[in-house]
Amino acid sequence: MTKTQPDPAPAGGEGPDGTHGPGGPGGPDGTGAVSRARRILPVLGSLQAYIGLILIVAIGVITKGDVFLNQTNLTNAVGAFATRGILAVGVTLVILAAGIDLSVGSLMGFASMSAAIMVAHHDMPVWLIVPACMLIGAGFGLANGIGTAWLKIQSFVMTLAMMSIARGLDRKMSDNESVGTLVAGPDGELTENSESFQKLGTPDNNVLEGILGPDGIYFPVLAFLMVCVVFHLLLSRTTFGRHIYAVGGNPTAARLSGINVTFVIIAVFTLSGMLAGFAGPIDAAYSVSADPQAGYTYELDAIAAAVIGGASLAGGKGTIIGTFVGALILTLLDNVLGLNAVDDNWQLVIKGSIVVLAVVLQRPDLLQSIKNGIDRLRGGRSRTGPGRTPDKAQVPGPASAPASKETPR
Amino acid sequence: MSSSTRTLRRALTAATAVLAATALAAGCASKTEEGGGGGEKGAGDEFVIGYSQANNAEPYRAQLNKQLEHYVKDYPNLKLLPIADAQQDNAQQVSQIQQFVQQKVDILIVSPNEPAPVTPAVEQACAAGIPVIILDRTVDTDCYTSFIGGDNFEIGKKAGEAVVKELPDGGNVAELRGLLSTEPQKQRHDGFMEAIGENPGIKVVEEREGKWLQPEGTKIMQQWLARGTDIDLVYAHNDPMAIGAQQAAKAAGKDEIKFIGIDGLAIPDGGIRAVQQERMAYTYLYPTGAEEAAKTAADIAAGEKVEKKQTLGTVEITEANAEDVYAKYDMSGKVD
Amino acid sequence: MSSDAKPPLLAMRGIAKSFPGVRALKGVELTVHAGEVVALLGENGAGKSTLMNVLAGVHPDYEGVIERDGAPAAIHSPKDAQRHGIGMIHQELNLVPELSVAENVFLGRELRTARGTVDKKAQEARARELLAGLGLAVPPRRLVKHCRLAEQQLIEVAKALNLDVRLLVMDEPTSALADAEVRRLFAVIRDLTARGVGVVYISHRLEELEEIAGTVTVLRDGAYVGTRRMAETTRAELVRLMVGRPLGELFPRRPEQHCGGEVRLAAEGLTYVSQDGGPSLYGVDVSVRAGEIVGIAGLMGAGRSEVLQALFGHYGTRAHGRITVDGRPYRPRSPGHAIRRGLALVAEDRKGQSLVTANTVRFNGSLAALARYRTPWRTVHKRREREAVAGQIEALKVKTPGMETAVQHLSGGNQQKVVLAKCLLTRPSVLLMDEPTRGIDVGAKAEIHRLMDELAAQGTAILVVSSELPELIGMCDRVLVLCEGRLTGEFHRDPARGPQAGQEAVLTAAMARETVTTHHLRGTRS
Repeated sequence: MTKTQPDPAPAGGEGPDGTHGPGGPGGPDGTGAVSRARRILPVLGSLQAYIGLILIVAIGVITKGDVFLNQTNLTNAVGAFATRGILAVGVTLVILAAGIDLSVGSLMGFASMSAAIMVAHHDMPVWLIVPACMLIGAGFGLANGIGTAWLKIQSFVMTLAMMSIARGLDRKMSDNESVGTLVAGPDGELTENSESFQKLGTPDNNVLEGILGPDGIYFPVLAFLMVCVVFHLLLSRTTFGRHIYAVGGNPTAARLSGINVTFVIIAVFTLSGMLAGFAGPIDAAYSVSADPQAGYTYELDAIAAAVIGGASLAGGKGTIIGTFVGALILTLLDNVLGLNAVDDNWQLVIKGSIVVLAVVLQRPDLLQSIKNGIDRLRGGRSRTGPGRTPDKAQVPGPASAPASKETPR
Repeated sequence: MSSSTRTLRRALTAATAVLAATALAAGCASKTEEGGGGGEKGAGDEFVIGYSQANNAEPYRAQLNKQLEHYVKDYPNLKLLPIADAQQDNAQQVSQIQQFVQQKVDILIVSPNEPAPVTPAVEQACAAGIPVIILDRTVDTDCYTSFIGGDNFEIGKKAGEAVVKELPDGGNVAELRGLLSTEPQKQRHDGFMEAIGENPGIKVVEEREGKWLQPEGTKIMQQWLARGTDIDLVYAHNDPMAIGAQQAAKAAGKDEIKFIGIDGLAIPDGGIRAVQQERMAYTYLYPTGAEEAAKTAADIAAGEKVEKKQTLGTVEITEANAEDVYAKYDMSGKVD
Repeated sequence: MSSDAKPPLLAMRGIAKSFPGVRALKGVELTVHAGEVVALLGENGAGKSTLMNVLAGVHPDYEGVIERDGAPAAIHSPKDAQRHGIGMIHQELNLVPELSVAENVFLGRELRTARGTVDKKAQEARARELLAGLGLAVPPRRLVKHCRLAEQQLIEVAKALNLDVRLLVMDEPTSALADAEVRRLFAVIRDLTARGVGVVYISHRLEELEEIAGTVTVLRDGAYVGTRRMAETTRAELVRLMVGRPLGELFPRRPEQHCGGEVRLAAEGLTYVSQDGGPSLYGVDVSVRAGEIVGIAGLMGAGRSEVLQALFGHYGTRAHGRITVDGRPYRPRSPGHAIRRGLALVAEDRKGQSLVTANTVRFNGSLAALARYRTPWRTVHKRREREAVAGQIEALKVKTPGMETAVQHLSGGNQQKVVLAKCLLTRPSVLLMDEPTRGIDVGAKAEIHRLMDELAAQGTAILVVSSELPELIGMCDRVLVLCEGRLTGEFHRDPARGPQAGQEAVLTAAMARETVTTHHLRGTRS
């Protein structure tokens, strides 16, 4: 009873960590290629969570070198995805708590339109617009949370409904017209508020000049990084972060451990909405206008980033760093394909394939499966996998022992 | 799981079955009614118009809706029902058209979301004797009374001619295409290519699908510039992509690149204003056909003969005429 | 019992099975004669489940020979096993909750009408027949999710019988059953063996094995240890075979009586009326003193767990009564509130209610007590957290490769210790324990008992619910008996204080009401 339970059901049963010492079944008598593979695998293991990203960066550097790997290009690439990245962080919180938030794209669209109207029609200053939009987003998120936690509506349905509600309000508010954020004053020059609004994300507008390097930093990139850092700390350091993981992992256990599950669920949806509200003004500045369709299908990109980054839709598993990596994979892949002028139709095919490949390569049990495969090769003939009906003709004679008995030992 | 709940469940199942059967029967009945209704009114009566719009949430179509409401008011005997928005959904548009047929509207206007899926519904309307006006995109039948639409090939050609004029000594052109699967995209591309064929010195050095979206325009332009492509002029299949690309070029300090767009919407955030602000060199008015649609409806009501196919011209908008065109099509204050 | 001249129903010889990095079985022997019940005994991880999976055809490759009725049998797939008349009832039930009883019994082998549709009538008739044979009067159309756990267990048996099995493997069939229901199951097993069916019976409950099994085969660490005739061995010997060392007292409760401490928890008229048809409580009086272990006994559905959950705030304010904790009035509100008031609950279902199994030992250990390691910034003080959890791991002797190991990789006993660590880190003055030793092996069980004893000695008041009467009688200073939500008996370890706790007396109180017994034991022959 001393060791951790082997219970070695082959399907899905992950062995306890570190059961494979060097003296394990793959001993030194392996063939050359196999033993070499065994030596390389652990090295790969430590980089594995990033292997998809590394792969794409490598392709970028090989095919385009400096064109890919320079600050302007990387800033542009990350900047183009920054709003979706911010949404992905919010969605990650919700997914961790075993929910889903389909409304973030529409919420961002609503906030984007609100921001554009605030700057274009009401000449409001940017320091007021951003918190106002965050508050608006948080309000919608709160409604999502209340619907899910109190009214017990499944989050998929609740946020699907909210997606429609927010989009409808967005379109009503804008009368289906896009609203520009470049607002000229009576003198024909941009108004002061419009000028400062562009700092939020219009290309060629940087912030913190002189503080972060002479040129400063492009705000969408800074915002995305900031959001990642803040929420990474929230999840990994605070008691609230722990509570999110517990609620997603096992809500009953969380409740019986004294955690206010209802509060946690409402809070994650509110935070997700708040982040969507934050992304709104950035989107409106990036496009120098708010389109009534802005953010359409962004929720899917956001969910994809979280899941590529290792978040489990079943809840309780995932990290902000993972989501950050997932977002980088998506945007850098797009960038690399664009820089190589790959045919638009093929881009769709390649994007889909690379995403699948990246997810497979990042699987924590991948190395285990490879090792198992190597062991099976070394073990000589292997039988069919578990659960499959074996070919009866293979079972030799009436004095039959199972075929693998012949394994040399 | 008491027996009463089981009884209830059975009752519900039965009720559902009855409903379904009724619906089926109704469907059959409506078929037999075909051919009746509509078309026997005098000129003085009120004519009710139903309008099924593919998607309200595109600025161009929002503009079309407003213009139609505006121009219909010129004809007192026409009454426009609330515009039905199909939200880019073929099935929804089909059911909206069928509802208008059920309501026995006097005239039906349809802006199809896609040709094929909407065709059977339009044929139903025709069979019910309702005169149909097709706006903007086509349908795969000719039972309609009149088709009104712009000529995307012609617009693309005009844009190409402007490029030939702008780059007499040849030059490098980049093309931001609309959603590749759409008809206007193909025609705007083909017309453009035909026109620039005049001058072999003009080369299309980059082309990408911008999906009609402004942020895509920005992103793709950034990638082109990163690739180090030498670009003299960008031809975008709509104004938002052109404006998005221009923003990226401006940020990279490439002020000498010229931009051409299409749509020319008379709204504050539209292409006409962008031309006035010198962000674009040209845009081409893609006419909504609202004015013509209202007139055609009035003609039908008056019992006059209308043209089966009305192709609308475009207007080349440059800084010189931008203000006038804007004033003509600006709907703010004219409706509601 | 069959004669030795006839070849055995089943003989497994020299069975070995490896998984990458783990040698799960080596040289294991198992013989079952027709009409015989063979107990398979071993601690968690000893290889019982792997051996049975080999027999059931789950593992296509293994070494060794399997013979059925003396002829070699190649069992490499579940289909092969089925062909050889081998049926298996897993510890975790394999029923589809949203389907009816009859549909579950015929799952994958549906009877069909001439038109090719499922013949529900025939299925229901046959299912009713099978269930009646098991003494179960559940309507075949009832959805399985509406059946009680004990009923579900018997439905599994019916499902296996429907296959016309010659050999039936039962893995921990009684872990969720109360004593009366265990009796009923035993009656069924005797009936089966009388018809010549061989049974392999896996259980941790030695007293059950003594009652039902003819022979017992013991495994340890994947190896065959030995086979004994049940009548010729003793519990002590079996325990020694299993753990490889002699084990002292099974229930190490100190002999002296603990009831002089101050009252930690007192509830008078604890009442909770269930909204969903589950057990209710009607005016239950419970009190526990410092250093005292009080047990709650009763049949399934008597309201035992509900007492603990009501006290722990699981039902919010829907549960009420005059309650004091450490002398101060207490109104149950929420589990969080209960924890702050010094209560802690080891819930009935380890994986379902207590642990976030995919997460680490550290995460789970500190989960309920996080507020104790909070910095002013509301972050977790990781060093203090780690030290605290490490301290408990040490004190409770949790066997884990490290604190960052996911608890799903630990054995059941060690998982339960993590749950206990989680509770203890909140420094409770009252510890509520619901089936604290269910489904864990003998060694770990004894350790949990020892820990309970130590905690009580340190002044913790413990209120424990268990379906195992010997455990309650062995461990508790007092045993309260519930029946249909009412207190029907109170027994003491010390005969001087009142009626003494004994299996028969407790059981009688648990079935105190005629109405209750007919309701719960409908269909039993006893």
